[in-house]
Amino acid sequence: MDFLAQAATGITGNIEELKGALALIGYGAAAIGPGVGIGVVVGNAVQAMARQPEAAGMVRTNMFLGIALTEALALIGLLLYFIT
Amino acid sequence: MEPLILALECDPAKPILCVPPSVNELFETPTIFSIGSFGVTRSMLLMVLAALVVIALLWAAYGRVRLVPTKFGAAIEAVVGFVQNETSGVIGPEGVKYFPYLLSLFLFILVSNLFGVTPFINFPVTSRIALPMFLALVTWFIFVIVGFVKNGPGYLLSIVWPRSVPLGLRWFIGFLELISTFILRPFTLAVRLFANMVSGHLLLTVLLGSGIVFISRLDLKSITGILWLAFGLIIYPFEIFVAVLQAYVFFLLAAVYIQTSVHIEH
Repeated sequence: MDFLAQAATGITGNIEELKGALALIGYGAAAIGPGVGIGVVVGNAVQAMARQPEAAGMVRTNMFLGIALTEALALIGLLLYFIT
Repeated sequence: MEPLILALECDPAKPILCVPPSVNELFETPTIFSIGSFGVTRSMLLMVLAALVVIALLWAAYGRVRLVPTKFGAAIEAVVGFVQNETSGVIGPEGVKYFPYLLSLFLFILVSNLFGVTPFINFPVTSRIALPMFLALVTWFIFVIVGFVKNGPGYLLSIVWPRSVPLGLRWFIGFLELISTFILRPFTLAVRLFANMVSGHLLLTVLLGSGIVFISRLDLKSITGILWLAFGLIIYPFEIFVAVLQAYVFFLLAAVYIQTSVHIEH
C-alpha cells in the first residue's frame, strides 16, 4: 500500500492549522540564510572599520546596503507565511 | 489543567478573546466618510497628514531665511545636509538634480514609518503595500527613464550584454541582470519597507496587547503579562531605530539605482 496515501488518510485534524505550521517551518528555514549573511556582512564591516577607521563612513553606508539586500530574503519568507 | 498561555476565559461579550483577529483585520481601516463613491479611510488621512507634517517641518525651518538659524532650523538642516551628502556621495556631482526627489522620499517615508510608534496614531502608513509599491514604481520609472535619456539604447545593451563579463557567460549574466533590474528591483524595494513595517507593527501589537490582557487579570498569571509588557517596551525603541533605518535604506537604494542608470558599466 502506498505510504503517502496511508499517511494522508490518517490526517483527520484541522488542515488549515497544518498548513500554518508548515508555513511557519518554511519561514524558519528562510531565515537561516539571511541570518548567516547579515552576520558575515556586519562582521566584515566591523573588521574593516577597525583596520581603517578613516574609511568608517563609506563602510557603514555599504554595510547598510548589504544588510538591506540580504534581509529582503527573510522578509519575503515572512510574507509567504501570511499569504499562504 | 488550565493552559498557562490562556489569559482569560472565552467571554462571548468580548469576541476578540475567543476569535483573535487575523493579520488582515489589523491592517484594514474602515471608511470614515465618503465623497460620492470615493471612500476615505483612516490610512488615507494619515498619508495626507504625513505629507503635511513634512511640509510643515521644512516650512518652519526654511520659510524665513535667517542669518543665524534657530535650534529647530539647525536640526532640520542637519537632516537635509545628511541626505545631500549621501546623495552626492553615491551619485556624484550630478546628484544635485535628483536631490529634491530623494529628500522628499526620505522625509515622507521617515514620517510615515514613525507614525507606527507615535502615540494615538500607532499605525505605520507604509505597512500597506499600496504606498511602498507606488513609491518603488515612481523610483523605477525615474531610473529607467534617466537611463534611456542619458545613454540611449546603450543602457539596455549594457544590461543584457555586459562587456566586463567573459564571453561564454555573458548571455546568462545579461539575462539575470535584465530580470534583476526591471522586475526584482522595484519588487524588493517595496517589499523590504512593507514587510519591515508589518512585522514591527505586529510585534508591538502582540507583545503590548497580550501584556495588557494578562495584567488586567490581576492574579498569578499577571507576572507573565509583566514579562510581555517589558519585552514590548524593549522592542519599542528598536522599532524607532528600524523606522529610521528603513527610510534611510529606501532612499539609499533609490540613489544607488539612479546612479547605475547615470553611469552605465562599459
